[in-house]
Amino acid sequence: MTATRERFESVALPLAAVGTVLLLTVLFYYPVGRVLSEAVWRDSGLTAEPLAEVLTDPFFFGVVAQAFEDPSILWTAIEPHTFRLSVPFVDAAIALNYPFPDYRLGLFGFTAYQAFLSTLASVALGLPGAYVLARFEFPGRKTIRSLTAVPFVMPSIMVAIGFIATFGRNGVVNDVLLALGLPRIELLYTLPIIVLAHAFYDAPLVARVTATAWEGVDASTAETARSLGASPRRAFVDVVLPQLLPAILTGALLTFIFSFMSFAIVLALGGLSLATVEVWVYHRVNQLDYATASSLATLEMLFSLLLTYAYLRYEARQRAESASRPAPRKRLFGALNLDRLAVWGYVVVVLVVFVTPMASMILESITGPNGLTLDYYRFLVTRQAEAAEFQIKPLTAVQNSLLYGVASLAIAVPMGVLLAIVSTRDVPGSKLVDTLSMAPFAVSGVVVGLGLLQGLVFGTELLGYRITVTGAVAVVAAHAVGAYPFVTRNVAPLLATIDRSVVESARTLGASRFRVLLDIELPQVFAGVVAGAAFAFAISIGEFDSTVILASGSSAYTMPVAIERFLGRRLGPATAMGCVLLAVTAASFVVIDRLGDGRGM
Amino acid sequence: MVDIDLESIHKAFDDAVALEEVSLTVEDGEFFTLVGPSGCGKTTTLRTIAGLSSPTDGTVRFDGEDVSDVPVEDRNVGVVFQSYALFPHMTVTENIRYGLRFTDPPRGLTADERVEELLELVDLPGMGDREPDELSGGQQQRVALARALAPAPDVLLLDEPMSALDARLREQLRREIKRIQRELGVTTVYVTHDQEEALAVSDRLAVMNDGGVEQVGTPVEVYEQPATEFVASFVGENNVFSGVVAANENGELAIEVDEKAPEGHRFHVAAEDHGGHAGHGAAADTDADDSHVDEAHAVGDHVTFCVRPTNLDPAASQNRFPVALGADEYLGGTTRLYGEWAGREIVLRLPEPPAEDAITVGFDPTEATLL
Repeated sequence: MTATRERFESVALPLAAVGTVLLLTVLFYYPVGRVLSEAVWRDSGLTAEPLAEVLTDPFFFGVVAQAFEDPSILWTAIEPHTFRLSVPFVDAAIALNYPFPDYRLGLFGFTAYQAFLSTLASVALGLPGAYVLARFEFPGRKTIRSLTAVPFVMPSIMVAIGFIATFGRNGVVNDVLLALGLPRIELLYTLPIIVLAHAFYDAPLVARVTATAWEGVDASTAETARSLGASPRRAFVDVVLPQLLPAILTGALLTFIFSFMSFAIVLALGGLSLATVEVWVYHRVNQLDYATASSLATLEMLFSLLLTYAYLRYEARQRAESASRPAPRKRLFGALNLDRLAVWGYVVVVLVVFVTPMASMILESITGPNGLTLDYYRFLVTRQAEAAEFQIKPLTAVQNSLLYGVASLAIAVPMGVLLAIVSTRDVPGSKLVDTLSMAPFAVSGVVVGLGLLQGLVFGTELLGYRITVTGAVAVVAAHAVGAYPFVTRNVAPLLATIDRSVVESARTLGASRFRVLLDIELPQVFAGVVAGAAFAFAISIGEFDSTVILASGSSAYTMPVAIERFLGRRLGPATAMGCVLLAVTAASFVVIDRLGDGRGM
Repeated sequence: MVDIDLESIHKAFDDAVALEEVSLTVEDGEFFTLVGPSGCGKTTTLRTIAGLSSPTDGTVRFDGEDVSDVPVEDRNVGVVFQSYALFPHMTVTENIRYGLRFTDPPRGLTADERVEELLELVDLPGMGDREPDELSGGQQQRVALARALAPAPDVLLLDEPMSALDARLREQLRREIKRIQRELGVTTVYVTHDQEEALAVSDRLAVMNDGGVEQVGTPVEVYEQPATEFVASFVGENNVFSGVVAANENGELAIEVDEKAPEGHRFHVAAEDHGGHAGHGAAADTDADDSHVDEAHAVGDHVTFCVRPTNLDPAASQNRFPVALGADEYLGGTTRLYGEWAGREIVLRLPEPPAEDAITVGFDPTEATLL
């Protein structure tokens, strides 16, 4: 009896690990591998032709495609263009000169360019936030700090709706301008609005990562510099800033990766005229041109894997240590000086950028042409009853979202916890498992969707049987793959902080390694598991990129997909659906805030 | 209770050798200390006994039985770490009870009775419902001790258990650990870097350096008869000299020291057993380390000897040499003086610093110890 139990305990973990790897293979590596093979396999032979076709096409690579013949055209690709912004209140237009790439950059060049601008904007918007969070004390500071984790659980399509509701043709900004008798401004389908929306997502990330590093800076380092004769500014530049730089670069690199792979924002705010690689892949899939889609996806994947690898390498080199004595915080409320004035100015900007989109969405959902109305919500209910076969039923979308959310959570949590355990153990292969299991971070949702579509929904021959899964199963698979890294990210750091001698104490008291895991380690990381679960649920609820591909033509649609469909017609119902989504997402955020500390990326 | 036998333990880590041919015997019921500077291998030795570290080569025996392959959870050892390592999600009682999930309490007690008994033993009665973070460092360490003792282990292993505590608390707690160890008679191995602490608590101690054992003996033996230059200067303060034997007469060696001083560079050192100090000779009741005592020292041999600062006396009539005085430290009752003679540092202990900046001191030939 005891012997059997011991046998079970000693094999339980390896077995579970093998099971997880198998599941990952089916849900992720095989489908994505399918996309890859599609790009290098033609007529049952290995070929570089499809990739070469993309690489030498100026549409995708602009001047780079032709640069083999004439490298000098590379230098002329970027030149200043003028972006005209008509300014209300002033009877003039400001001409903004900024280097705007044209067709000569190609699709990939433009994608990298918008990601670069988004990174600049996010850093510019995020750094003052880091300063306020790290160096000031005010009521609600901790709440605002945990709010910086919110964008990660914000459905991207909902943010897009918020921006349309704010800056769109009939959005709040133009309503205000109109009421003041001023001309409309047209921001939709421009690069600045895409960059701003990406900053909405990533500036909080930059702020949080930097603030954490800032709080970890030992006050005595700056004090030492001061005592040696440095001015406050010099002490900051020479001593504090170098300690922040790694964190700023980490945030910037992540922002670049996310913006490069961003899909829903660009699709909804830019359309095909400002298409990025991701949007174009989706476009080709919709046109049933899977060959081009696969080649593009493969190249995009290579690039993002490279970036993610660089990020992971860089992040691994710097582990934040808590300061022995952080500098004391300044009070935010007090006599107005230059410092505080600047902070209040920043607060106004934050309100406009972060609060207005969500507020506008809510406002738009309850205002019609004749003032306040609940028509759009009523529409959601009546459409449920009257929808035609091909139309989306709103309540079904809500139901599907909740169902898929729970199912994804049920897969992602055990998977994520297990991978966290393996990656923090000192066993052979744990580094490899760690790297492989984090790969979904680097592969875009559209690519995962495409792979699952081709690999599982269209079916695969295995041992003479044709294996196919329904759209719903594929959607859950995609969500689980997207969500489990967040579980791992929430659990692994907590596991790693458990003092080794705590584990060893339990061992010396007679507990097997497996019992130590159950009795000592898991109870201590429980908060991380729950936070990870809430993240997983929220990710699933808000996932758009792969869902929109897998749900096309089936009834496996979710709330974000419904929003995008409604958006094609009228803003009202889309904002109403967005508010429903906001409510569900907010609920999972409350769980995250209560139980976790927003440690997930 | 058991005795522990380590036989030529060798431990290599990826990039370095941690232990080289360590052989030790710890007697049943003994309070045995491993002492040495950081990185000397004392903690690795302790972890090898516990089964937390498996040796690259060598054998660990409990009561003559090879336990090298017995996993840690089946070795029946209790370990107390420097960091206390209490389970933060459990109360004091739950911590102490944890080991009783796998082992029945001794003497037919119930688990509850055993916990009560141990709380009494470590002087924390009524604290069972506290959470670990509600306790002071000293209290946490008592709980860790009680937890380690609850399953009545054969061996108690203490890895620098008091390094995180302040000096006064450390002394109080080490007296208490010693009392508990006496009361239970459990074979105990104690690791510390503090030689004073090692001398104070141990029945016997092993001085370790660089992955090997330098000397094993009772505190008196190790202090009075250091076997190597390392032990001589690590355990207590010492002035170590080396030179060549110029004469060996009447049980005394005349040693020409390496330092070239204008006068007095020939010192006379008793060639006999160092136990010449009255009353200490009988202390050696174990067989440890008496190898070099009766060696004959021939003229021309190179030898090393040491003289404790307390034995360098301005009133001594023999072996006198002048010391130029430098810094002094008042230690309460005595003063430590750093001086110089023939280009090397000499440490002195005097009741109070002399007014002059030079002093002549000497030592009795029997007060010097040949290494």
